[in-house]
Amino acid sequence: MMRRWLFPIVAGGLVALGAYQATLLATPYALMYAALKKIGDRGPVNQFAFSPMTTADNQTIVRPSPDLAYAACVFDVSKGPVLVDVAPVAGHYWSVSIFDARTDVAAVRSDRDTKGAPARLALIKAGQTALQGYQPVMLQYDKGIALIRILLANPAEFPAIDAIRRKSTCKQVQTSN
Amino acid sequence: MKAWQRYAIFMVLGLVGGTAFAVQQVRGGLSDGVVPNGPWETGKSFGTLDASALTRAKVALSGLLALPAKEAMYFTATRDSDGRKLDGRCSYDVRGGTLDGRWWSITLYEGEGWLVKNAANRWSIPASAVSTDAQGRWYFTVSPDAQSGSWLPTGSVDAFDLTLRLYHPAADIIKNPEKAQLPIIDRKGCA
Repeated sequence: MMRRWLFPIVAGGLVALGAYQATLLATPYALMYAALKKIGDRGPVNQFAFSPMTTADNQTIVRPSPDLAYAACVFDVSKGPVLVDVAPVAGHYWSVSIFDARTDVAAVRSDRDTKGAPARLALIKAGQTALQGYQPVMLQYDKGIALIRILLANPAEFPAIDAIRRKSTCKQVQTSN
Repeated sequence: MKAWQRYAIFMVLGLVGGTAFAVQQVRGGLSDGVVPNGPWETGKSFGTLDASALTRAKVALSGLLALPAKEAMYFTATRDSDGRKLDGRCSYDVRGGTLDGRWWSITLYEGEGWLVKNAANRWSIPASAVSTDAQGRWYFTVSPDAQSGSWLPTGSVDAFDLTLRLYHPAADIIKNPEKAQLPIIDRKGCA
């Protein structure tokens, strides 16, 4: 009698463990996919979308900072490397971070790292090579998000900061290696 | 009951139960399973390959696109310094001193991490918005009603959390966030 129920119970337990782990593993991909779609709706792939300062009425991504000016590029390296050039903003904290499809940070460069110079990153996958003058960022997935953050101590600075950050570019190199 | 029916019942139960338990764990909040410091909690592995599957899923839900600790640390409080849940109908004093990093701000969120609508259109208190005394001490008020001095509105929501961002934190804080001197959150009263 016991054996009739024991094996189904054990099988159910194993399925529960598998379902638990699969849900945890799938969650970052699913939420990142949603973010890629949400940000991607605001502009083409491999191009920065420059957001206004975040308020309660225009939140795109969870837990935004209202003190930061954001610019986001949904990138796709499947057809070739993507070059990210970030214009420096003197006297302000700024950074560019590269998030892969699993939500891991593949690279971060801030004004502290570049000592005020522009950040120049080449997003590549296996089999591709970075262009000279660009720091290679090897990715495990084709898609992800490049995100620029710029700190504004005073919201009145936004128009001047916005003009500078729009010099930043995210673009695909047409000839893959 | 036939054997396949017994297997089917327990496998369906396992599938639903395992998935539901994972969702419950992920929705448990950004800070579960990480480093506590007074009312604040943080993690050392946000955004990194070292993050566990549970931490990665939690951060994706409540702090997607978070930076790794060397760039920024995120301390989140869902309770005051006496352990009571933060309530948007109550008023709090947030008092702190020098935070060892390049820049900090404290932002108020509801739910999974959304800014709260409020008449003042104010959602955070950055370091530049507080007055410090000779010892570097500062404070501001979190309240549903307008207050004199630095004030962060709650929008009278049922529950909220505060996230302290510390950009370019000092090496000591990255290594031992549980020993960092962080602000206290003192409840003054409720409407």
